[in-house]
Amino acid sequence: MGKKILVVDDDPDVRLFSVTVIEENGYIPLEAADGEQGMQIIKKEHPDLVILDVLMPKESGVRLFREIKTDAKLKKLPVIVLSGIAKRSFLRSQKALTEFGGAPVPEPEVYLEKPVEPNELADAIRSQLP
Amino acid sequence: MNEIIRKILIIDDEEANVRVLSLTLRCDGYKVVCALSGEEGLEVFRKESPDLVLTDIKMPGMDGIEVLKHIKKVSPDTEVIIITGHGDIDNAIEALKFGASDFINKPIRDKILAVAIQRAGERLSIKRQLAEYTVTLEQKVQQATEELRRQSNFLTRLIRSSNDGIVATDKDLNIVIFNPGAERIFGYTAEEVIRKQKITDLLPDSLKNIMAIPIRRAQSGTEALWQEQTICGKDQQCIPVRLYVTSLTEKEHVMGTVFFFQDLREIKRLEDELVHAERLAAIGQTVAGVAHGIKNILHGFKGGSYLVDLGIAKNDQEKLTKGWDMIQRNIVRTSELVLDLLSYSKERALEFEPCEPNRIVQEICDMMQHLAEQYHVELVTDLDPSMNEIYMDPAVVHQCLSNLVSNAVDACLFDHDTSKHYQVRIRTQRCSDGYIRFEIIDNGTGMSPEVRRKLFTSFFSTKGHRGTGLGLLVTRKLIQEHNGTITVASEQGKGTTFVIRLPYAVSKPE
Repeated sequence: MGKKILVVDDDPDVRLFSVTVIEENGYIPLEAADGEQGMQIIKKEHPDLVILDVLMPKESGVRLFREIKTDAKLKKLPVIVLSGIAKRSFLRSQKALTEFGGAPVPEPEVYLEKPVEPNELADAIRSQLP
Repeated sequence: MNEIIRKILIIDDEEANVRVLSLTLRCDGYKVVCALSGEEGLEVFRKESPDLVLTDIKMPGMDGIEVLKHIKKVSPDTEVIIITGHGDIDNAIEALKFGASDFINKPIRDKILAVAIQRAGERLSIKRQLAEYTVTLEQKVQQATEELRRQSNFLTRLIRSSNDGIVATDKDLNIVIFNPGAERIFGYTAEEVIRKQKITDLLPDSLKNIMAIPIRRAQSGTEALWQEQTICGKDQQCIPVRLYVTSLTEKEHVMGTVFFFQDLREIKRLEDELVHAERLAAIGQTVAGVAHGIKNILHGFKGGSYLVDLGIAKNDQEKLTKGWDMIQRNIVRTSELVLDLLSYSKERALEFEPCEPNRIVQEICDMMQHLAEQYHVELVTDLDPSMNEIYMDPAVVHQCLSNLVSNAVDACLFDHDTSKHYQVRIRTQRCSDGYIRFEIIDNGTGMSPEVRRKLFTSFFSTKGHRGTGLGLLVTRKLIQEHNGTITVASEQGKGTTFVIRLPYAVSKPE
């Protein structure tokens, strides 16, 4: 049985790009357009990896990331952040959220800044799914 | 005894007379000194300085008249009473001519003598008082002059040391005071302008009419106000100043004018620096935002070309089509971003044209209708029927309203409460203060205080890939250029109301 990878992004083009890379590399893609939908699919389909944009309407990407990483059962689920914002800015924002009373979260397993090459994304996926 | 007269000199060649007289006077409490001839009398006078001299007129050698002349010469204030023989009226009158105070006839009666001494005392008293007054008066004049000189010096120094330029003129506007502050601002020396130029020579044409102001103001009694102006220095340099003019009046007559100039060059320089620094910071933000937008678009292009490559390699028509669509969508996003950037950075002159704001609102509703229906949002208009053709910049109205209406529809789209009947209401109202008020009211998702705070900053977007983050910034810039205002009220979960106020004209402005 193939491994399942969930793509969470509000931009359909970005999802299509990631989904195509996933399929071309022999994995099974799942899609969600926002964080809430993403969490529903995680609970139902139990994907092996999440590719997540952290800059989405209503900050739902950040919320999903923090929900995964602070949930006892889910926190081993690897996350590849694929976003337009710089890694430095994202980590700084997470640090600030923690300082304001949020639970501490680890860094995402992989952080990719848009734009990425298809093979870059494929390498990142393979690094997380041995 | 008389208080003023203490010492009396008696001069008479008849010893018996002298004795009787001196005895009488001593009894009255006077100090008496005597001489038996005119010559001796003068000698005693010099030695004793008596207050009063009683001298016989007829004496061998120096007679009474001669004695009188000498005494009056050395001591004009000394009282001299002449003693005359009976019927010697001619000599008595001559003696009066030479300054004798009085004369008494022989034989001397005590009562008459007392009256004569009393009168001499009064005269002396008046003379001394007068002398005292004169001295005091001279002192006071001297003191007052000194005080005046001191005050005048103080005022002169005050004017000289003022950092502000102070220029005073006479009533014909000739410059009479030109302090160092004015020298620094205008670049002329005081010598170059005082009584050589009029204040009007130093002011630009636009300020010539200011001259009428202080005069008029003096007549109407209203206060002068500071105003910012630009004046021209000696080297034709433009100098920003704050300027205050007032007239100098005395008993309602205008004597002249006085001008106060504050040099604003340093302040303006600092202001310019601040604006420059803010602009640099804005450019930095803008560049970072543009880079972010371009990174996302580039990612789309890479995805599109990846799909096209796969489509070609595998001869897969579907991937080819999807990839090509993706590239085309990102071409559109690129041009949207570039157009927004252009309209944000471009300085555009207002073009007031006749237009009907209600019609513009209707056009936008027609344009947005399809999108709104797709998202189940009802567009409602509430238009002020009293509004007909007026003068505004229709392009500004159109772009601002379409930005805000499209935002309002998105706000409904992003709302999670699907039980709502979504509505976007556009109201127009003609206000009595020369403004048109537009309201765009939605009952969508609303904004958190955090979002409201960042609302008008560049590249802030809550719409993910759907927004460039420039829309509201462009809207606000356009409204400000149209001298209007934009305000927002919002409650999370309830909706948002944007209010635009734009000024309009009823006829074409110049």
